[in-house]
Amino acid sequence: MDAPTIRARFRDRGFVAGEAFATALQIMLALEKPLLIEGPAGVGKTESAKVLAEVLETRLIRLQCYEGLDAMAALYEWNYPRQMLHARLSETVDLTIEQREAQIFSEKFLLKRPLLEAITQDRSPVLLIDEVDRADEAFEAFLLELLAEWQVTIPELGAIRARNKPHVVVTSNRTRELSDALRRRCLFLWLPYPSLEQEIDILHARVPGLSDRLARQIAQMMQLLRGLSLQKAPGVAESLDWAMALMHLHRDHLDAQIVEETLGCVLKVHEDREIIAEHHEAIEPLLVDASPRVESRVADFGLGSVSTPRS
Amino acid sequence: MYPFGSLPSNLIGFGDFLRREYKFQIGSGELHDTARALELVDLANEIRVRDALRPILSRTLEDAAVFDHAFTTFFFPPPKGVTQEGLGPLRLGVGPETALHEKRVEAGPQAAPDEAEEEEGAKVAGETFTPLAESEPGAAPALLARTSYSPLEAESARGAPVLRRAEPAWRDAARVLVRRLHLGLSRRWRSAARGPRFDLRRTLRASLQTGGEAITARWLRRPRRAPRFVLLIDGSRSMGPYTQTALEVAAAMASATMRLEVFTFSTALQRVTNDVRRSAAGEARRLEHLRHAWAGGTSIGPCLREFLRRFGERTMGRATVVMIVSDGLDVGEPGVLRDAMRELHQRSAGLVWLNPLLETAGYEPTASGMRAARPYITTFASANDVEGFARLSRLVRVRT
Repeated sequence: MDAPTIRARFRDRGFVAGEAFATALQIMLALEKPLLIEGPAGVGKTESAKVLAEVLETRLIRLQCYEGLDAMAALYEWNYPRQMLHARLSETVDLTIEQREAQIFSEKFLLKRPLLEAITQDRSPVLLIDEVDRADEAFEAFLLELLAEWQVTIPELGAIRARNKPHVVVTSNRTRELSDALRRRCLFLWLPYPSLEQEIDILHARVPGLSDRLARQIAQMMQLLRGLSLQKAPGVAESLDWAMALMHLHRDHLDAQIVEETLGCVLKVHEDREIIAEHHEAIEPLLVDASPRVESRVADFGLGSVSTPRS
Repeated sequence: MYPFGSLPSNLIGFGDFLRREYKFQIGSGELHDTARALELVDLANEIRVRDALRPILSRTLEDAAVFDHAFTTFFFPPPKGVTQEGLGPLRLGVGPETALHEKRVEAGPQAAPDEAEEEEGAKVAGETFTPLAESEPGAAPALLARTSYSPLEAESARGAPVLRRAEPAWRDAARVLVRRLHLGLSRRWRSAARGPRFDLRRTLRASLQTGGEAITARWLRRPRRAPRFVLLIDGSRSMGPYTQTALEVAAAMASATMRLEVFTFSTALQRVTNDVRRSAAGEARRLEHLRHAWAGGTSIGPCLREFLRRFGERTMGRATVVMIVSDGLDVGEPGVLRDAMRELHQRSAGLVWLNPLLETAGYEPTASGMRAARPYITTFASANDVEGFARLSRLVRVRT
């Protein structure tokens, strides 16, 4: 699959992928190497893996990393209760210890966790290793072994080799520096915030029925907000939330009042609101002038945007 | 048009160029991958070729940010006599950190030889940082000027400070400090001789040796959460005699833990983690490239804010202990310092401020900078000698 096709297929599923991104995916699929995606929160890193699985018509297997994630939770576990039960029930059966052991430690009693699941599929799945920076360094080292060899050794069963190599997408939010070794194994892609035009495109693709004016206003606001040094800059997910919220409120444009009322969709830290207040004059030109709106509120009623006059 | 005749030699040449000029880490595996990738894309489409090579050859955001510039420089070198600036705007849009891009561009082959050498050193050690205002794209002509210049900077640099392996007593003190910090328990379960949770798996496995009867019980416990450290060292002139001590602290901490990031600041912020690590491994290092950061005036607030903006995401967290070594004599706005301190406090497990003046008889932390910072400090102490540093392990308190 070449890059333009990938872009088109992603587009069909409501994901607007840039050219560099599509090319990176193409290379990743061709070279069978993991793709490490870094970028600010909420630019669609996780979403891209989901869409990739849909495009390839294969399974998405997701491993969400967290502090304290260990090999057991990521790879496999024995089904102890079942093993115990089996051992008790087969007590009367005349078997040697070896035979009994072979029975208990057979694949029937194995609980597959995401990583083992991913290498035992009949068709290459998309393996999403989400937020790898949240797991600790020890887990990263363990992951390296898997990414290099595609082989898992279970002491009781022996080595299990991947039947089909999964397509691996690794995402990181950069809450800590990843090891050089992990970076070496992966292709690297930085997914930045979308440009103004791209964001408008995304808004249209994901929120059907959004007016052109509102989409442009939201995108412009976002560009502006990301330029300020906020503690939590809003991502694409936030602009989509905001667009949905405004649609729900039957707005077709932004004005000072509605921005004030719905800013909670976008800014999640109180201090950031203060920063916005300081940059009032930069935001103002983006908004529709609010003062004549007051008279036209009632007249606007029924002309596509529904708003009720405030007492 | 291309530097070499055939495609493979061009690729090898480009790889060499990236390694040499931009300090990329490229092995033969990557070059092999690039050759395979070029079979897939339209070679006549320059942008597609760039997009294909970038993910393979770069490893970090920093790499990705300078890649396009390197590509242009190598494959489309400017005619002799035309400077790089004459080529118009570079293809950017890789990330928010274009400041870095500009900086590394400067370190590239277009800079004057001595300039290049100096900046190169800075880059290897970490990165040098430009204050935001000076790294605007419009400021291109000024880029060749020293970007960390400020009127407050010292006219002539003093001898560059030396980083060397810490004395055994310092190392012991650092080890005790790291070990004594309690951050509570991690979420992970580890097998142990004794613990609060029964380890069915290992018990069952052990029971095989005793014919299926579980005789020896195995247990699980939660290990302690390991703290991360961020050390911010004030290198301004007023710190004079104490800078060497501060570096000793850094080297000692580096020998005790790998989870350490070290920065120096005065008029600008610089990451020196790699130098400190190497010195802890026994390699004495003179921080030549730190001359600009060293021995100038201090703007603590803006430097801390810069730190949070550039490195906050990667280094701060609930397990991070921030240690600032400074006398708190700040020439900047106290408001900026207060905001930065508040954020550092909120986003860390504890904020330790080591003030060398604290041991001076009659010293009261009344300087405006110190007054602004004071409410957010969890441990206020001094470590002017090894005894002071050893005492620290009993003083530091963290939130869990």
